[in-house]
Amino acid sequence: MTTPELSTAERLTRQAEQVSADLAAQDASWQGGWTRRSFLAGAGMVGVAALGSQLVTTRAAYAASGLSNGNTLICIFLRGAADGLRILVPATSDTGLDYLTTVRANLVPASTNRLPLAGAPGWALNSALSPLLPFWGTGELAFVPAVSVEGVTRSHFQAQQCLERGSDTATTGWLDRALQQLGPGTTFRAVTQGSALPAALTGNQSKLVMSSLKNFSFPGWDGVAPQSEAALRTLYRGLPGPLGEDVPITLSALATAATARAKAGAQNGAVYPGGNFSTALADLATLLRAEVGMQVATIDVGGWDTHTDEANQLDRNLTSAAKALAAFLTDLGPARRSRVTVAVMTEFGRRVQMNASGGTDHGHGSLMWLLGGGLAGASVYGKWDQLSAATLDSGDVPALNNAYDVLGELAQKRLGVGQLSTLFPGRTFAPLGLAKVG
Amino acid sequence: MATTFWPSIAAALRNTPHTTRAPMVWDPASLLMSRFGFGIEAKTRADLAHYGLDGWWANQVAFGRGAGAGYAGHAGVAAQGPLLKNNPAAVRAWLKANGNEYGWEAMDQLTRVTLGLQAWSHGQVYEAVVDFFANHLNVANHSDGVWTTRHTMDRDVIRKYALGSYASMLLASARNPAMLQYLSLASSSKKAINENYGRELLELHTVGIGAGYTEADVQNSARILTGRSLDADFNYTYKPERHFLGPIKVLGFSHPNDTAEGGEAAGEAYLRYLAYHPATAQRLAYKMCVHFVSDNPSPTLVAELARIYLRTGSQIVPMLAAILRSTEFWASRGAKVRRPAENLIATVRALGVGPGDLSKSLQSLHWMSSAVGQVPLDWSAPNGYPAVAGAWRSSGSLLNLWGYHRGLAQNWYDGFADLDPNSLYGAVKPRTSGEAIVQLCGRLTGSRFPAAHQAALQTFLGEPADTPIADSRLRWYLSHLIPLILDAPQHALR
Repeated sequence: MTTPELSTAERLTRQAEQVSADLAAQDASWQGGWTRRSFLAGAGMVGVAALGSQLVTTRAAYAASGLSNGNTLICIFLRGAADGLRILVPATSDTGLDYLTTVRANLVPASTNRLPLAGAPGWALNSALSPLLPFWGTGELAFVPAVSVEGVTRSHFQAQQCLERGSDTATTGWLDRALQQLGPGTTFRAVTQGSALPAALTGNQSKLVMSSLKNFSFPGWDGVAPQSEAALRTLYRGLPGPLGEDVPITLSALATAATARAKAGAQNGAVYPGGNFSTALADLATLLRAEVGMQVATIDVGGWDTHTDEANQLDRNLTSAAKALAAFLTDLGPARRSRVTVAVMTEFGRRVQMNASGGTDHGHGSLMWLLGGGLAGASVYGKWDQLSAATLDSGDVPALNNAYDVLGELAQKRLGVGQLSTLFPGRTFAPLGLAKVG
Repeated sequence: MATTFWPSIAAALRNTPHTTRAPMVWDPASLLMSRFGFGIEAKTRADLAHYGLDGWWANQVAFGRGAGAGYAGHAGVAAQGPLLKNNPAAVRAWLKANGNEYGWEAMDQLTRVTLGLQAWSHGQVYEAVVDFFANHLNVANHSDGVWTTRHTMDRDVIRKYALGSYASMLLASARNPAMLQYLSLASSSKKAINENYGRELLELHTVGIGAGYTEADVQNSARILTGRSLDADFNYTYKPERHFLGPIKVLGFSHPNDTAEGGEAAGEAYLRYLAYHPATAQRLAYKMCVHFVSDNPSPTLVAELARIYLRTGSQIVPMLAAILRSTEFWASRGAKVRRPAENLIATVRALGVGPGDLSKSLQSLHWMSSAVGQVPLDWSAPNGYPAVAGAWRSSGSLLNLWGYHRGLAQNWYDGFADLDPNSLYGAVKPRTSGEAIVQLCGRLTGSRFPAAHQAALQTFLGEPADTPIADSRLRWYLSHLIPLILDAPQHALR
């Protein structure tokens, strides 16, 4: 391309205009008896999928100011309640090491397995996370301990719903409402890696749920794929309801996915470990490099409900998660990842005291990890009280920091969401100062 | 169109204007079998013609209550679930003897048998109703601590009462080991009340969140049910020493609850109160209409089902029959989207691919439903798989389903009987390419496709409609055309 480098917003605006034109042409060509009325009436905000291009709404052309600022927020949910106390370890008397060794001696990593964190003297990282340590040095790793939200119980279901919906009464997800505020975007604006939509993305905004980029292609014999796709466009043309939108979106996404896939392959010497989580992250890195307009992405990772044999189970999970995340950040390289922020969360923390099976039961305050660009610096953010029988909340880490404040700050400063009141209804926003604007 | 009710199913159908959502066309048999079953098979049409609608319905209900009850709807499939007959202790003993005391075999057998019955059971109505109530009173299969008990919820609660009374089902569920474990009732006691079950009982199983209960009601709901527990073998037992004592008030229910020994009976009285509460009737009626009729059922239909529920003491079959006796049902073809696993099973049934090797085909169906996020009974949260289309939007699932259409039509997968694509024409062989398309669309989807759709399929074949069959490219492309027809909205909708 010989034209000067366009900003992301400009590029998307041009795509939007192109798509508008394509859609007008398609409108005109639709046959009698079919109408697009339901497309516009049914879903409200969400318009029609594009043809060659990737924008999902015709209104994009007129809403350039609402387009992506080029940043991406990736939310990784550790399902089952990961034990923050064995991930970011209170490593001095001041933070609570003495108490920990009295109630969960077997779950405190040995001193040789505790990595000191420069500038955070009370804390140490479980050495299973050593692949991430370099990013602490570059200011691209941070933590918020003792984190929770109002109304969370010790039920996995209720707590996950509560965190992901952004209040205990909302019926859509907080990320869906963030997308709504950001206005129209591309087919790839919201990508879920997995087979189902997480509660955080439940709602009316269009999103792409894909199980793997590798398999995101038209199935069957390639010799009939183009003809099959063409037939499907006709078969779904004008169909009211979600399928009338999703089939064209899917077909439109195939070409972009193929283009992105052609450029797949880790860069910058990154080595991904095996496993679904790793593959999902590698897919996201590929899509990010392909600049498909991804604003938010989610990945769910199960296996953190360590009621038994936690030391082995958790460290095994942490080792593979840390390798995968480090590979992802390395793969993107410093420039690209400056526009990508990763938030790793879980529904609640675990009981401080070890149970009779070498595990821990359901607790309260948990740990959020933040990685990538846009952080205010490598640090342990928020409040923390020295652990002791007196400071615990019914035997659990208390909720000293609010997860909505963390997510809200990321949404506002990184994605450019204006109003947080619809994202987290009822919450008086109190940012921790952990992210930078832009 | 106003909903009207008729004395018989056949009369309701006769009095329904031939209404559908485009591009679906009027075909009552396809509609019936896509709601009160997992998709139409070729032979169902013959059954319906032979017995008539009301006779067919009576047969299906009798079968589900009698010869086809439990897992007996398909003998071969039932034989794939030998552990499902056992009590929790026997399951555990078997698992231990087979190398892993904590293994998943019983849960896996339940998954596989459920999928097999959905695909091939002769009691399709029973399977559809079981699916509805298994989600209404969801206990996630493959969840913590139910590895020896989950099948008892299916066998002794859902399947036992699916064509009986909801009050009986609810009372049985409140004594079921898997339910007690899943919603933490087993670990709730007067010393440490766990509100999990008490809350979901109100919110999900009975009156619903709009009924006006308070947080104090939730606490009382949990308190009155304390003592319901499990013994060492994971059987239900009531432990009076764990039962909370003191007056209980929830909504309009009150009970002195002043003896530990009487605590179980107090709980039963409370459960009965909830079961027969008008808000429960309304809520269950609404959910049933959403599941079987449309994502936005009319208030008239919902009210009629609720009325029948209260009048009959929560009998399920008369409610279902009322749906079939309504014009709203028969006018609803195309109003529902097939959820991913429903699309998969309906594909198996439409193509008529039988189980070649049952063990392998059920394993195939298990991974296939897993890849599209809808393994039966595996929804992890207590509210069951969502029933409405909006919750299932996924490009990944669409591509997977389009892959399954191809794979099942082209014999890619383990365990299924090989399909001869020419068999789908039936007795009358098409003379032209165009006739072949019309016949295949009718056979596979119960719809005649509109002209634009036929033209698209004709373009796919790359030949005019009047091409004689002997010269047609169908010789090479038939097994590619078949899945394309199954990709169409006429199969994706129901």
